[in-house]
Amino acid sequence: MSENYRKIMRDGIWDNNIVFSQYLALCPLLAVTVTATNGLGMGLATLAVLISTNGIVSVTRQLIPSEVRIPIFVLLIAAVVTVVDMVMNAWLHELHKVLGLFIPLIVTNCAILGRAESFASRQPVAPSLWDGFMMGLGFTMALVVLGAAREISSAGTLFANASLLLGDGFKFIELTLIPDYKGFLLMALPPGGFIMLAFIIAGKRLLDRKRVANKAQAALLSEAIPEEIQ
Amino acid sequence: MRSDPGHIKWLIEEAAIYKELLKRWLDPSNLERLRPRLEFQTGVLAGFALIASLLLGVTHCSTLEAIQERLDEDLQKSLAEVVPSTLHDNDLLQDTVTVPSGEDNLGADETTVYIARKAGQTTAVCFKLAAPDGYSGAISMVMGINRDGQILGVRVINHAETPGLGDKIEVVKSDWILDFSGRSLLNLTDAQWAVKKDGGVFDQFAGATITPRAVVKATHRGLQFFNRHRSELVGS
Amino acid sequence: MIASRKPSSGAHIGTNTSVQHIMWRVILAISPATAFGLFCFGWPALNLFIVTLLSAVLFEAFCLRLAGRIAKPAIMDGSALLTGWLVAMTLPPWAPWWIGVAGAGIAIILGKQVYGGLGQNLFNPAMLARIALLISFPIEMTTWPNVAPAFSAQAPDFIESWSITFSGLGSIASADAMTGATTLGYIKTEFSQQHWLPDILANHSIFLNFLGWTRGSLGETSALLLGLGGVWLIRQGVIKWHIPVSLLLTVTLLSSVFHLLDSQHYISPLVHLSSGALMCAAFFIATDYVTSPNTPAGQLVFGAGCGLLIFVIRTWGTYPEGAGFAVLLMNAATPLIDHYIRPRIYGRNRNGKPLEQKITVQEREQ
Repeated sequence: MSENYRKIMRDGIWDNNIVFSQYLALCPLLAVTVTATNGLGMGLATLAVLISTNGIVSVTRQLIPSEVRIPIFVLLIAAVVTVVDMVMNAWLHELHKVLGLFIPLIVTNCAILGRAESFASRQPVAPSLWDGFMMGLGFTMALVVLGAAREISSAGTLFANASLLLGDGFKFIELTLIPDYKGFLLMALPPGGFIMLAFIIAGKRLLDRKRVANKAQAALLSEAIPEEIQ
Repeated sequence: MRSDPGHIKWLIEEAAIYKELLKRWLDPSNLERLRPRLEFQTGVLAGFALIASLLLGVTHCSTLEAIQERLDEDLQKSLAEVVPSTLHDNDLLQDTVTVPSGEDNLGADETTVYIARKAGQTTAVCFKLAAPDGYSGAISMVMGINRDGQILGVRVINHAETPGLGDKIEVVKSDWILDFSGRSLLNLTDAQWAVKKDGGVFDQFAGATITPRAVVKATHRGLQFFNRHRSELVGS
Repeated sequence: MIASRKPSSGAHIGTNTSVQHIMWRVILAISPATAFGLFCFGWPALNLFIVTLLSAVLFEAFCLRLAGRIAKPAIMDGSALLTGWLVAMTLPPWAPWWIGVAGAGIAIILGKQVYGGLGQNLFNPAMLARIALLISFPIEMTTWPNVAPAFSAQAPDFIESWSITFSGLGSIASADAMTGATTLGYIKTEFSQQHWLPDILANHSIFLNFLGWTRGSLGETSALLLGLGGVWLIRQGVIKWHIPVSLLLTVTLLSSVFHLLDSQHYISPLVHLSSGALMCAAFFIATDYVTSPNTPAGQLVFGAGCGLLIFVIRTWGTYPEGAGFAVLLMNAATPLIDHYIRPRIYGRNRNGKPLEQKITVQEREQ
């Protein structure tokens, strides 16, 4: 894997994560992350849309004049989202009943337009697809982490109803972590989403800061040692 | 359709010419020249709109049937919960009567009543209704009534009540709603069709009265609606 | 001619108003009402009270440790104790222990420490905790025990009290007989039954309500004792009169007008004023230095806003009591109020222009 692709991967998953670093797409994020399963479903739908739009935009990037690029991007995104909506309604009906309200909201997910504008319209097809995949993966990860944190604190379960999304084979990941849990309703409500998101972002920044400090220390050490030798 | 070799050859040649044209047109330097031109921009936008519409059209046509099937399955599933399959041998979804229900406060001006028949004889009816006065918005339900006016079952299809509090009306959370089975206008008086707090016979939930009250009242209205249209629904 | 190198007086007036001093005064002022509540609701209330206070202090120490600060002096200022105390006062007296712990945790961690600790928070921590609990645990937060004075026959004995607090009210067989609705809650349910006012309150004594002999939160039943404590605090100079007076006046005025227009549907100002939660909010919650405006004019606006919202929520809202919501909403408006009604900087007028100098330089030299 070349350096370029590795950087795209790091950006998508961690350094430039849509949610935890760019703070984008908070509207669908807070609305669906009541459970980890919902987060996963929404994340995968977004992932599919991101890869498709990134791919289409990148293929046609020579054709698209910059004056009309925004309407074209919006048109493409809206069409792809609607297709995903109909396909899910037809073949993932149970999940669609849960997420139905939010799928059309993917259109308003500014991260998708953002990736089309800032990456896919300037890069060849392969990196664009890779970027769409990695950004989508990072977004899915964020939704699942937040969904899991909220689900555990609000209902004491993890991946409830996951078999609706993944098929009956995945029944085993439906866990009840805290039996007889009273339920902390606040966490299932939007304010709880904000509170939990804030804690997770704080945790990520703490990790980042530690990493930078460690790097600085390592750099300092590697500088200091030769001097001593001299 | 002519299919002589000469014609096919001509077609292939023709296609090659168009392919070459397209290739030349799609050349980056040519596009570079075209992009600032207004008619090109309009054309591209129109082209994308056309492609998007085609994509939507194709998907719509190919999923239409599947989606309708799923919706029917949903409806059938909820109807089957309130009308046991032993009571009918017909297809409920095909055997319907539409009755005006604007005055009955069932949440719609017209109610589609599904008729269950066994050997041609009407055994039960079921229909959707809504309780508009839930704690957070309307609660949509389905209820089944046998030909004697007794409730076969009531189920909540959709609601937005408080999780952990008002959602005990769902049968997966609590069997409170099963309490309606067997009740009718004959074995309970109008005053008894209420939650215990209001002097009726139905339990309320700890901490939540509004939700069960709304469901009880709506069910009562459903029964009254059935009673009023009994002759046209059940026959004799 | 310098007698001593020590300055005889500084440029600033020193007073005895350290954080610690203020906190203990406030605690002293709410003690009578709390003691009365503990007496009315007996051992379970005391258990809950102790659990809540203890966990507030522990959460504070934990957060300070996490932030790398020395815990002891910050804990000794009594602010965490007061926050815990205020949380405990607003809880239903027989709530299970984990309600107290959760309340203290929300107040200290989410209400105070995430903003940076004492003096940094946007919302009143105690009210934040109360509202978060009310939304999250509606059953536990609206189960009100009857008045059963400690040591009386109907009071639960020590072992029963223990199981009420630590295994929940459901563990007691006669739980249903021991609980009921608060006055405001009762009025709200009766309204939904199309019963109107004079009938509803036929068996209610407003005077007993005012004394505190009624169902309600642990330390919020006695409007009388809370009011007295508040007046004492004003006399002591710990709080100013502006917020309590404008808040209570607004509620009284609004409820009087509506009650006079339609005494069937709008409860009288006496009922409003006899509710302890109103008094508690007016004197002890809304007057929180950190979350209320700085200027007297701003405080008047703030108090009136709280009063208006309390009246609106009590009258037309889904919840019977609106004091917590009202204070939180006005807390959010505090920066706005402070923006428009600024404190005057010394030597300048409100718009920041220098005052006209009355004494010219020449005059002073003479």
